[in-house]
Amino acid sequence: MTKSIPLLEKIGKEGRVWSDLCEQYGVENPDPPWRVFLESTCEVLNEGSCVLPSLERRDEEDELVDELYKHIPHPERQVLALAHSMILRGIITEEDLEKHLKTVTERLNAA
Amino acid sequence: MSNSHDHDHKAAPMVDEVSDFEALEVAVRELCIEKGLFTQADHNEWTEYMHTLGPTPAARLVAKAWLDEDYKQLCIDDPVKASLEVGINWITSMPSNFGTPSDYCNPRILVDTPKLKHVVVCTLCSCYPRPILGQSPEWYRTPNYRRRMVRWPRQVLSEFGLQLPEDVEIRVADSNQKTRYVVMPVRPEGTDGWTEDQLAEIVTRDCLIGVAMPRADRKADDKRPVIPAIHPYGH
Repeated sequence: MTKSIPLLEKIGKEGRVWSDLCEQYGVENPDPPWRVFLESTCEVLNEGSCVLPSLERRDEEDELVDELYKHIPHPERQVLALAHSMILRGIITEEDLEKHLKTVTERLNAA
Repeated sequence: MSNSHDHDHKAAPMVDEVSDFEALEVAVRELCIEKGLFTQADHNEWTEYMHTLGPTPAARLVAKAWLDEDYKQLCIDDPVKASLEVGINWITSMPSNFGTPSDYCNPRILVDTPKLKHVVVCTLCSCYPRPILGQSPEWYRTPNYRRRMVRWPRQVLSEFGLQLPEDVEIRVADSNQKTRYVVMPVRPEGTDGWTEDQLAEIVTRDCLIGVAMPRADRKADDKRPVIPAIHPYGH
């Protein structure tokens, strides 16, 4: 059984998925604008630095989705699984991520 | 003074809220850059490349092949060369630039006939011919599609609304890191005398994956009608 990560569990529970936001704002784009950045991050982690090979990441994404993120749609589940895989490997820590997430959220919501 | 924003058209609505998932994507990316796993420039290069991807080149390839038997043969014999004619270079597309020259470099065009239908899957993960077809749809990544298509293709195709007669053979092509497949469907009736541009418009992404057939009355960018239920819930 894969261990859940409290920070990611909280985002999975409380975060608003793209379809909800689209409904509220009357938007028809099938994908959130950040999906392309997420895909690029996955690609450069595979190709550039080989930190997280694609096949390994996708296998793990399937497992994590099955066990923890089943109720969350794509690509929201993909970003949760990516963060989860990186924490599991010690590439980043949950504490680092939580701290940086706070900074990012404040920055993106400023003005 | 006139209002410079007073145009005749209205801008498309946009989500005016930063979700936790969006912030998470930014946070993960920035931590990677901070740790030196990649640079912002590496990331920008990929993002720009991703933005250029879409199903149009593959639709153009099929339309050309429908009109030109020699080109159709080239698609079968040398898909890399055939792709060049629709502006796609598999050899120098993004993955190869990162030093893995065999990645993506073995595209295959699967030619349907009235008695043979191809459909593409990746049972292992979600390999997809992105340079020529763009990003894979969400359902292509699901275990449901990946596991069941290879076992019960006829049933899964019928769930996409594609009912094939029993005498049509179905071949499922399983993609991998190097070999990526694109389906060339049969040219539909009612398209005699059509130009390449007209034909390309009806070759949708789903036709190129193999889960749909092109139709003369349906363009790739048509708005799909919502058909009211015959027996709506609660009535």
